[in-house]
Amino acid sequence: MLDVSRVQKELVECNRDESISGVSISLADGGTDLSHLRGTISGPVDTPYQGGTFVIDIRLTSGYPFEPPKMQFVTKVWHPNISSQNGAICLDILKDQWSPALTLKTALLSLQALLSAPAPDDPQDAVVAKQYLREYNTFLATARYWTEAFAKGSSSGIEEKVQKLVEMGFPENLVRSTLKMVGWEYIVYLDKLTYS
Amino acid sequence: MAAEAEASVRKRKAGEDADHGSGVDVHVEAVDSATAEPPSTEEIPKSSDDTAFNSNPNPSESFLFEDDYGYSCSCVDDGDIMKQYTDIRAVEAAKIPYLGDKEPLSSLAAEFQSGSPILQEKIKLLGEQYAAIRRTRGDGNCFYRGFMYSYLEHILDAQDKAEVDRVLSNIEQCRKTLQFLGYADFTFEDFFSIFIEQLESVLQGSETSISHEELLKRSRDQSISDYVVMFFRFVTAGEIRRRAEFFEPFVAGLSNMSVNQFVKASVEPMGEESDHVHIIALSDALGVPIRVVYLDRSSCDSSSPTINHHDFIPSSSSSSASDHLTKSRVTLLYRPGHYDILYPN
Repeated sequence: MLDVSRVQKELVECNRDESISGVSISLADGGTDLSHLRGTISGPVDTPYQGGTFVIDIRLTSGYPFEPPKMQFVTKVWHPNISSQNGAICLDILKDQWSPALTLKTALLSLQALLSAPAPDDPQDAVVAKQYLREYNTFLATARYWTEAFAKGSSSGIEEKVQKLVEMGFPENLVRSTLKMVGWEYIVYLDKLTYS
Repeated sequence: MAAEAEASVRKRKAGEDADHGSGVDVHVEAVDSATAEPPSTEEIPKSSDDTAFNSNPNPSESFLFEDDYGYSCSCVDDGDIMKQYTDIRAVEAAKIPYLGDKEPLSSLAAEFQSGSPILQEKIKLLGEQYAAIRRTRGDGNCFYRGFMYSYLEHILDAQDKAEVDRVLSNIEQCRKTLQFLGYADFTFEDFFSIFIEQLESVLQGSETSISHEELLKRSRDQSISDYVVMFFRFVTAGEIRRRAEFFEPFVAGLSNMSVNQFVKASVEPMGEESDHVHIIALSDALGVPIRVVYLDRSSCDSSSPTINHHDFIPSSSSSSASDHLTKSRVTLLYRPGHYDILYPN
């Protein structure tokens, strides 16, 4: 059985100093299920993630707090230790180094630290890691792009692009359905084409 | 915080003394009398290593444990690996409960009958001082589980109310230490109360008092046993961090981590094995002396082997307290990578 009272205490504790820590947790989809939560992290300053707000899907198994929380980025992010495809995270404390002495808050803070200090030698996303090691400036530019496109405002970046395509003469519902079909990351490439 | 993300360089004793039990036929019956399940007469398959008794289940032969070698984790298919790891542990679990039944020391001799003559000789010597052994599961928590059962059983036998009061006051100190170090109360309070509950219930004469049988049953029940293990991990972590300066050289001898990193990587997570550092810290924090008897290949060169042991005497204890120290001592048998409980004659 999930330790409900502990999870409730964790939510209160985490959100108490949200403005200082830059991390917060709420129930996913405004539901009532304490085993499905939604964390947010603000991008650390002096990183390509600065200014972005990153949403993390959090699922707790019945073994929590003995078993680690399952965390995954919902917001697309360009980082060597986070999958650019599905948001899977490579971090030891979410795996065998988890301890009941840790909390959802400390896990989110560790993710924030991971954004500040990528470990490209131990990658989750090999493509990103390779770029980080070989073309650092391109990595920075791409990571900034992704932050702009996916982590700022709810969908303002996306809305802007949709607007642009509509202005080009494409019907809006076609634009939306196409973008959805090819995946919203298409916007990044679109940006590159439009601006380069 | 960056330290947490990086704290992943781990010490491993994988393969240490790998030929320790070579050629040994393992005869442990998986009968768990206390859980009243249908007795199984199935034996552990013969193995050429002592996998079943090592906390780290022989990573040298299996790709499943490759993350034990590298820096941090191998993230590709990690979920699958984790699942397989869990499955393997579950298979191990079916073989040996968290705590086995009390067995005569001759069962240990039987285990080594075709093994090293020196170890056989040592077991014979062991038999002069110790009557029985109680095995613990090799899941990395064996030291804490062995300590838990051995200590609580001692209180149950001795009905030493003064000792319980003394330990309770030490536990209060541990609680303050954790608060001082910045642990949120809710992270440790449940673990503390479950241990205190067990400690109080082994004293007879109240409605919640329990028998030996019930103590064994609880020690085998994950929902109690794991909580108590985690309680000890909190106590150990708090003590090491509180006296970081004292423990720093010990930690440096084991790893290249800082004290705080070491605690995060090798004390707080479940399943992380215990070393001298952990034993010193737990013994000091609770004020409970621990004797560890070594069944290994040390002093094997001499013509007359001897059994080595080390007494961990709590640093806070005064000489006048030495009387209660010997009475409340926990005795564990150490084989490379594993601890079992020993019973003196």
